[in-house]
Amino acid sequence: MLSRRRPWAVARALLGNQYALMLEYRAEIALWALSGSLPFIMLALWSEAPAGAALGLGPEGLDRYFLSAFLVRQFSVVWVVFAFEEDALLGRLSPYLLQPLHPLWRYLAAHLAEQLTRLPFAAAIVAVFFAVNPAAFWLPHPGRFVLAWMATLLAFGIAFLLQSLIAALCFWSEKASALERLLFVPFLFFSGLLAPLAAFPPAVRAAALWTPFPYLIDFPARLLAGLPVPLAAGFGAQLAWIALLLPLVLLLWRAGVRRYTAMGA
Amino acid sequence: MGRYWLTLRRFWGTALAGQLEYQLNVLIDLLAMAANLAGSLFILSLFFIPADGSAAGADAVRRLGGWSWEEALVVQGVYTLLDGAASTWLRPNLGAIVTHVREGTLDFVLLKPIDSQFWLSSRTLAPAGLSEMALGVGLILWAAPRAGAQLQPVALAVAALMLLAGLVILYSLWFLLAASSIWFVKTWNATEVLRAALTAGRFPVSAYPPGLRLLLTLVLPVAFLTTVPAEAILGRATPTLVGAALVMALVSFSLSRAFWRFALRYYTSASS
Amino acid sequence: MIQVERLCKTYRVAAKQPGLAGTLRHFVNRRSREVSAVRELSFRLEPGEMVGFLGANGAGKTTTLKMLCGLIHPSSGLVRVAGYEPQRRQRAFLEQITLVMGQKQQLIWDLPPLDSLRVNAAVYGLGDAEAQRRITELAEMLELGEELTRPVRKLSLGQRMKAELLAALLHRPSVLFLDEPTLGLDVNAQARVRSFLADYNRRTGATVLLTSHYMADITALCPRVLLIHQGALFHDGALDALAARLAPCRQVRLELAKPAAPEALAPYGELESCEGQAVRLLVPRERLTTVVAELLARFEVLDLEVSDPPIEELIGGLFQQAAVPC
Repeated sequence: MLSRRRPWAVARALLGNQYALMLEYRAEIALWALSGSLPFIMLALWSEAPAGAALGLGPEGLDRYFLSAFLVRQFSVVWVVFAFEEDALLGRLSPYLLQPLHPLWRYLAAHLAEQLTRLPFAAAIVAVFFAVNPAAFWLPHPGRFVLAWMATLLAFGIAFLLQSLIAALCFWSEKASALERLLFVPFLFFSGLLAPLAAFPPAVRAAALWTPFPYLIDFPARLLAGLPVPLAAGFGAQLAWIALLLPLVLLLWRAGVRRYTAMGA
Repeated sequence: MGRYWLTLRRFWGTALAGQLEYQLNVLIDLLAMAANLAGSLFILSLFFIPADGSAAGADAVRRLGGWSWEEALVVQGVYTLLDGAASTWLRPNLGAIVTHVREGTLDFVLLKPIDSQFWLSSRTLAPAGLSEMALGVGLILWAAPRAGAQLQPVALAVAALMLLAGLVILYSLWFLLAASSIWFVKTWNATEVLRAALTAGRFPVSAYPPGLRLLLTLVLPVAFLTTVPAEAILGRATPTLVGAALVMALVSFSLSRAFWRFALRYYTSASS
Repeated sequence: MIQVERLCKTYRVAAKQPGLAGTLRHFVNRRSREVSAVRELSFRLEPGEMVGFLGANGAGKTTTLKMLCGLIHPSSGLVRVAGYEPQRRQRAFLEQITLVMGQKQQLIWDLPPLDSLRVNAAVYGLGDAEAQRRITELAEMLELGEELTRPVRKLSLGQRMKAELLAALLHRPSVLFLDEPTLGLDVNAQARVRSFLADYNRRTGATVLLTSHYMADITALCPRVLLIHQGALFHDGALDALAARLAPCRQVRLELAKPAAPEALAPYGELESCEGQAVRLLVPRERLTTVVAELLARFEVLDLEVSDPPIEELIGGLFQQAAVPC
């Protein structure tokens, strides 16, 4: 196995290659970064509404929460299903499956490279935010920052695995990609992108915490914004979701590839 | 005119035939859409129900930018209706422009003895969005009387006119961005930015801070897309507001025509 | 029917270095250069003519075709097609012409061709009965039947191309621009498309301008060819004359009974090779008959063969040099 013998060389080659590719798409990626502006719209609403004041975060707390939500989202966007669909459509999938490298590694490298390309655009948006709203400026405590970064990485991991699961289902039916659209709906409303979980009625909040979605935005964003957050429970839940999803994805993927090659498609 | 009418019927007839091949997709679209509306209503309700779970008392009625829950639901209904129209009509058609440019099939469209903007804007329909439009209408019909609207013929006509104006503005904005793909084939995601910005229209424009309100009225005329039609439905549209919406619609539509002519001039003198 | 005078097209091309640094440099210091794709092109086509349009990739064929359709505006010069100025793209003009591109398709991928044909009928203002009559007639000529009711994606390349032709000819255009209509088709399908085009031309008297990489298309259909080279007209006339012009010599291959000395053969033409009994000579066309007669009289010849270099090679040779020397 090439990937086991020289993992470092493979990783470097993949990342370098994908970064060069993503630089070619920088105009699109800048627009993507801009299209993640939803948290700012919601911030404008929450900061004007009486319901926002009732959250007890204070005006700066609200600003920081939504800015953090924006940043966490920027670095946990996943598009495995789309890349997979395109590769299958253009016939690139079969050669990938022949290589002694799990195709998911390729997608992982592409995502990391895309995040690197996105970094300057996201930083520019943050700079504009602080220029417009200097009162909200804060520097997270270094320890907190590292924790928030890890939580974002884990959030990305969960999102990546969820989409890989759907991509693996595409081996059975090409319509499986529509599931991604379905999955996006609860993500949008329960992740904390539109409203902090603190705003939810207690029963809904308790139910939401049993899904993976709050750990994708709300938990890392609260960490980054310096708001009180149950550390152990949050990281525990993130790791639990990864521990649950990872074997499932690997098993389904292997079965899917076997089916795909048996069909000779 | 007869030719355009017949062409339109043929366009949409073939589109429906094509979509029926994907029944499962239609079902999933329906489900996603219903869930989306439910989620939006849930988020909207958060502005009206205190976080501690107690229902808002009579003395502590919460308002969003001066709009009551039922009135805000009308805005939500108008948004759903417009979003449905966008999924049915704008996204499938205007999204195809960049494909035409990239694959060179725009040439075929330009050689047809029919207005090319008409062809590109009405070539197909995605019926999945029709049910979203129905949901939007249903929501408006449920919420408007409860918000105290008297649905009289004149008010209804003004409301319909304002909805139409909103649709024209939305179309023109979308078409402008889609047509710019003649220059920037790589930035087809521009319409995604527009869609993200348009979600601001889910809420009455008065709920935003003053600076943003101005931006949403003049630069990105989201106010004319949802708030103004909702005002008209609630019978609160002043003649000035109606006039402004009509002027806005007219200006943006003419702009889209002029821009397309300009884009074609570039395309026909520069393409290879 | 088609009149082209001193037609020119120049493009402004941005001179940008690749990479991010190049992009930035270009942004600050915008430089561009002019590339002329078509230079001083003049020709006329009479009604009913079928003319082959030859040239290598990048010679300016597609640019010229697009200018004739009105898809590209000329930089200078005059174009008239069926009495119209193409670039104005008036409805009456568009109803007279059609463009078929072998590598692009107008039929909708997921639907049967018949659906696309109905759309085209409406766009061109044809009544239902009239459209049906024309579809039946053209389908018969193209040997298309139930294929018209199957989704386009399920058709073979040849069937798809025939359906494309049907869609492009439904409005009975009097001028046909065909850009590589047989691209990628197998030999049988090519032959069928070819015979259909000849048939259509005979029945309707339409004017046809055709480009193709397959010389068989040109030799079968076009008594007259236009060859453009680097954007300028190189030849306008019969295909044979073009061959004569590109290759003024013919190749004579001899098999002699006894080996002959090269010096003995040299006076008859340019000696390409002389290995024992096998001899190859290049002989100018006008002297061919005399030289062959003399050779037969002078040597004991077992076998003799006269051939032309293939026209594809001759046109290909045009890139390396303006004309093939003898």
